[in-house]
Parts: sequence; C-alpha cells; structure tokens
Amino acid sequence: MDLFLHYLTQPYLVTGIVYTLLITGLGLAGASVMGIVLAGMQLSRFRALAITARIYAIIFRGTPLILQMIFCYNALPMIGIKLTAVEAASLALALNEAPFIAEIIRANIISVDRGQISAGQALGMTPLVTMIRIVVPQAFRSMVPALGNEAVSALKNSSLASVVSVQELTLRSTQLASANFDFFSIFFASGLMYLVLTGGIAAIQIVVEIMLDLDHPNPKARFARLLPWYREPTVAEAETEPAVEEVVSTPLPAPSAKASHPVDRHKRAQAIAGSRPAIEIGALNKSYEGKTVLAGLDLTVRLGEVVALLGPSGSGKSTLLRCINHLESWDSGTIRVTGRQLGVDTDGKRLSPRAIADARTAVGVGMVFQNFNLFAHLTARENIAGPLRWVQHLSKFDADRRAMELLDRVGLSHRADALPRHMSGGQQQRVAIARALAPNPAVLLLDEPTSALDPELVAEVLEVIRRLAVEDGLTMVISTHQISFAREVADRAVFLADGAVVEEGPAEEVLTRPKNPRTAQFLQIISEDAALTA
Amino acid sequence: MTKPNFMKSRTLLSVCAGVGLAVQIVTGAMVASTVLSTGTAQAAPAGCADLQAKYPDLKGKTLVNAVNPHTPGYEALDPNDPTKYVGFDIDLGEAIGECLGFSLTYKSVTFAALLTTLQAGQADIVISDIYATVERAKAADFITYLKVFDGVLVAKGNPKGITGINLTMCGAVAAENTGYVEVPLIQALEAECKAAGKPAPEIQLYDNNANCIQAILSGRADTYVNDVNTVDGAVKAYPDQLAKATAVTLPYSVGIAVPRNNVEFRDAIMAALTLIQESGMQVEMMKKWNLPEDQIEAPKLVLAE
Repeated sequence: MDLFLHYLTQPYLVTGIVYTLLITGLGLAGASVMGIVLAGMQLSRFRALAITARIYAIIFRGTPLILQMIFCYNALPMIGIKLTAVEAASLALALNEAPFIAEIIRANIISVDRGQISAGQALGMTPLVTMIRIVVPQAFRSMVPALGNEAVSALKNSSLASVVSVQELTLRSTQLASANFDFFSIFFASGLMYLVLTGGIAAIQIVVEIMLDLDHPNPKARFARLLPWYREPTVAEAETEPAVEEVVSTPLPAPSAKASHPVDRHKRAQAIAGSRPAIEIGALNKSYEGKTVLAGLDLTVRLGEVVALLGPSGSGKSTLLRCINHLESWDSGTIRVTGRQLGVDTDGKRLSPRAIADARTAVGVGMVFQNFNLFAHLTARENIAGPLRWVQHLSKFDADRRAMELLDRVGLSHRADALPRHMSGGQQQRVAIARALAPNPAVLLLDEPTSALDPELVAEVLEVIRRLAVEDGLTMVISTHQISFAREVADRAVFLADGAVVEEGPAEEVLTRPKNPRTAQFLQIISEDAALTA
Repeated sequence: MTKPNFMKSRTLLSVCAGVGLAVQIVTGAMVASTVLSTGTAQAAPAGCADLQAKYPDLKGKTLVNAVNPHTPGYEALDPNDPTKYVGFDIDLGEAIGECLGFSLTYKSVTFAALLTTLQAGQADIVISDIYATVERAKAADFITYLKVFDGVLVAKGNPKGITGINLTMCGAVAAENTGYVEVPLIQALEAECKAAGKPAPEIQLYDNNANCIQAILSGRADTYVNDVNTVDGAVKAYPDQLAKATAVTLPYSVGIAVPRNNVEFRDAIMAALTLIQESGMQVEMMKKWNLPEDQIEAPKLVLAE
C-alpha cells in the first residue's frame, strides 16, 4: 500500500501522464480537423471526394493503430520525413481516429431532420449558413456522447505510443517495473492514473451534455444544475404559462376591420384580373425514377391571387410547390416568379446551390410545410429572427422586433421563448407561417398546411391564413384538402391529376359544380371523408 | 529482425507526410522524447585525443542510443531516480562517447524494434545487450564486446528438471522475448523431442524481460533462457520463487549495432572500444555491474554475409 501511494505521487510516472495527455490531445485535435474534412468529403456533391474519403476510412480504420504508429515513426524517415516520437505517435493517433470521428459527425449530420434543411433553403439560407446555423448545432448536441467515447478510447490507445519510444505512462510503468520488480504496485498506480484521466473525460462529457440540454426549463440554471444539491423546480414553478397539453387552442388577436367583413368576391376578381402575373409556369415536366410527376403543366398566378391546389395524393401538388421555389429541379419547362427565373442565370445555365439561395431571397418566395419544419433547437422567436439576421442581415434588435410583431399577429407572443417541441402542432404551424412571412415574400406557398394537425387545431391555422389573404392581399398558392376553406379563401381552384391541370376556375364554381368527372369524384370522396370524421 | 513491409503505398506516405508536417509545427521543439543518462565520468584512456583528431565529425555531437531498458545490470531505469538509465551497457556507451567526444541520449523501444529504429534513422547506435548474429547483421553492422553466457531461469526447485536447451525442455513452456536468439534455438528442439517421442516445447513471446520473468512467477511458463546476469538478477529479486537451473554457452557475442555502410563511424566506435578494453576500463565496469570478467571479448566485426 505504501509503495502504491509512493508510485501514485512519483514525479517520473506523473510526467508520463503529461506525455499521455499530450499525445491524446494532439491526436484528437488532428483527428477532429481531419474528421470534419472527411465527413464533409463524404457528404459532398462530388463523387470523387466521397470515394477518396471512403478509401481513406477503409485503410486507416482497417489497420491496427500499432502498425500505423510504427509506420509513421520508422517508415516515413525513408521518404525524408523524420518525426520525433511524440509527433509520429500523435500523427498516427490522428490518422487512426479521424475516420471514426468522421463517421460520428456524418451520422449525426444525416440524422438532422431533412425538413428543417428544406425550410432553411426555402428561407433563402445558403448551404453554408444552413450547415452552421441549423445542422451543426443540432448534430453537435447528439454527437457529444459518441465523441466522449472516442476521446476515452483515444486516451487508452495512446498507450500504444510506447512502441515508438514515447515516454508516456505505460512505457514508464513497464520500464520502472523492469528495473525494480515492483510490478503490482506500479501497475495499480498507473491503472488508477488512467482511471482518473478517463474519469475526467467522462466528467467533461457530462458537463457539456447538461449545458447543451435544451429541454431544461431555465437556461440560466445551466451551471447551477451541475451542483449535486440542485433540485429541478416543479412544473408549476418552472412554467408560469399553462402546460402544452392544456392548450387546445390559443386565441388569435381580434381580426382587423377588413378581415371581419365578408369579401366582395366580384370586386376582388376584377382587381386580380388586372394585376401582373406573380408566377408563370410553362410546360413543366418532371419525372422521378422513370415515373412522371409533372406532365407539361401550365399555370399562371396573378399578384394578390389566392390559388387552392387540389388533387389526390401523388397528383404532383407538393412537387409543383417545391419546384416553384426551386427546392427541387425539373426536367423541362420554365418557371418565372415576378418575372425572374429561379435557378438558372440569364443564359439558362444552372446555378450553384448558393446562387439559387441568393436568387430565392431576391425574388421573395416563402414556404410553409406540412410538417411545420421549425428549427428544433431554436425558440419560436429565434425561428423567425434568426433567418432575418442570417439571410436579410437585419440587426438583432430589428430582427427581434419583427419576430415579436409577427408572433403577436399569429397570437403567440406569449410563447416567444418556447421550443417547437413544447408547442402544439397548431402553434408550431402558426410560428412557421410567421417565419415564412418575416422577409415580406412576394409569394407564399403553403404545402398542405393543416394535414399534420389534430382536427381541433386546424381552425386556428386556417384562420391565420384567411387573414393573410384578406388583410395583406398576399399572393398565395395553397395545396389543401380543406374544401370549405378553399371555397371561402381561394380566388381560384386548380385541380391537378397525374401531374397536369385537369380543371381550374373560380373556387366557388369548381368546388361546387365541377365539370371534370375526376374533380367531381375527388370532391365526392373528400366530402364523404369529412362527414365520417365530423 | 523483420523489416517493415507495409510501406508500399505512395498515397499512404503522402497522407502521413502532409499531416506530419502539421503535427511537427504544433509540437515543434517543445518535446524531447529521450531521457538523459548518467555516465559515470571516468578519465578517457590515452589515445582518445588521437581518435578525436582522426574522426572530428563526431566531436560535440549528440547521438541517439536505442535501448530496451528492461534488463537490469545492462540497461534499466535507476530505481532511485527513474529519469536516468543505468547499467553496464550505459556506462560503456558513455565511455565510448567520451572517448570520441560525443554525448548520448536514449530512446526506449521494444527489443524487436531496436534494429528497425536504427534502420529508420531514429537512432544512431544500439548498445542494448543485443547478440550479434549473422541474421541480424542484415539490418546493422555489429562490433562485439562480450561473450554470451546464458542462464536458465526456472521456478524454485526446478520442478520440470530442466537442465538447458536440450531434451529436458521437451513439453515445457518457455517464455522468451520477441526477437531473442534463444527463440530459434528452442524451436529447433522440436524435431529432437519428436524423435525421442516427447512433445515439443512451447514458446510464449513477450515484449520485455520483465514480462518473461512474470510468466514464470505466475506459473504460465516453466523456463526463461536469457543472459546469465539477467537471470541472476531475477533470482536475486525473487529468491523464494525463482532459481537458476544452469548456465549454457551460446555461440554468439554481444555487440554494438551501428548503421550499415557507414564504415567511418563503425571504425571510430571499434577503435574507441578497443582503447577502452585495453586500458582496463571495461573490466572495471564489468566488476561494477557484477559481470564475470571472463565474459569480455576483444572487438570483432559481425557483418552480413
């Protein structure tokens, strides 16, 4: 026992820890940089980069670290690169850990909801901004446990550096044991030292995880909750507002005078007929894996017009909306939004994703998704204010003011600091609408905005959309199955089947007296469905 | 000794190289991976001044000596000050350095890596109780300085009755270091044992001397054949558990390994060693480390055929 304590405090062994930490630190730092590069290569649009990264992973993940250490130490000098033992060991550790870290990064990036990436694109974020602001913060949170694992494994693997003469803890322990034959005291002491080091990594991991925990009700208590005597406040203390489950419907503010009066249909139709086209779609074709999705579709939407897109699922409604703001590309045909072609330059050449993002911002097309696609790590306010800062480059003050103004408008200013997952579906969709409206888009596309909602939450969202049409005179294209809503709000109904327009006309007329038998059949099924669920 | 044969791929090399430079920048000069030693300062023999004049390139240099410091008496940490290496080989190296005007730093590697480290240029010289064999001379030139006397280490009371590398070892488990010359000698017993209707000896390979001794202490191995002074040291450390069964003479010599094809350096070392032997310094050092005096051997070269 005395010997054990003696070795535990012996400067010779303690200095070994310094080398162990040095190699581990350098190795992990190098591996992180290489891991980010490798993950980026694997996720890249360019196949050659992805293949190169894959080959690298096969080689360095598939050969033992001990061979890589000897290689970097003894083989590199033959091509004129003579590294010191610490350099060679750190290099080998970095080379070896990099593919593991790359896979952790890649897996967590892939696992970030694709919908949020679409939402970021639709808001005009460049791929880089989407990556930095949306994907990385969420991916990092979920990769912390795996990275902690990797750090512990790297620390233990650093003991292999003893084969290339690095004076780290393991080598010092074995040498010392050879000299004085005190095997067990020495190895117990160095074992305990390793435990303390790996325990330190575990502690860092726990601290980071707690600090990144979004679900904690009070973000200011991030450090306080690390203390052992800290107790979570009860729900009643933590949330002054009612819990989500109790909120069935949050009331909207009272409608403006304009919105509370019935619309003069005829006058509205006349005004729209005289306005410029907002969206012009000509002969749009798109097929996906041999299946035709859009077949020579033509459609014009005028400024201020509200168009309801109807049709059975698979008729191409969502694809059409996604093509309009170029979230998807198409095979042939043209789409102009306020006279501009999105996604191609003046010569008709395809633009890069970054240039498309800028064009989307310039043209001003907002999009609302079926699944809301709010950024899960950001509060309601940040979901709106963030993109304004990153894309439109508003100041923090202006962005926050605009966000609060819009939240107020959709009746959610009291939920400004709530995370999406703490809000009901209806509330989330109202925030998503506010987010889409924030940059003042010329056109708002809504892709089945109420399909993912519980029936009792549908009304609040439809009311928000109705007011936009009436109060703002916003140009909107809505794909929906809500026939009565479409009849009330839309100026025109467009019925799609098999990727083409089969019938269109004033909403009232098409929806009550369809001429095309397919429209009639579809409306029949929908109304029967509605009767059943009512 | 095996040569590294995993360096065919050019791409591997360049990847290593690129990142290597980066690491080099980071670590820079902050790390010295070698441990300084303690040479017992003795007056250099007369004639060393002439050698320094003849080989002026070595003067003032710091060379790297690769050692496997798991052999107390030859090279091991000083238990009282683990920042230093001590032993006969260490003293001899320091004396040669003093004679030729260079100083030494030490690099600790496994026994099997001693010569690869020299070949890779990561060390300049190897003085680490390594037996000079013609096989090993393919990797380095050797200058001999001691005869080889091996001892047979067994558990106390020699329960298996082992009397050397002979038929008594049939069916026994021998612990050996990877790369030791004893390994092929014990392996060669297989045919002999078979002919006598006995099972072949089994060999367990370890990384260092201490692990081989542990193998006997823990009952995993029956014997460990190695340099007699090392065996005596082990018996001294564990008098209740270990014993020396016998001493055997092997047809080898202990040698200093130097890079091949650097004749001038080899000549300089050999000349210095000769002076040290002739002046009686080597015998003094052998006495200090309890090596039998008749183990001394006049320097001769062991080169590849």
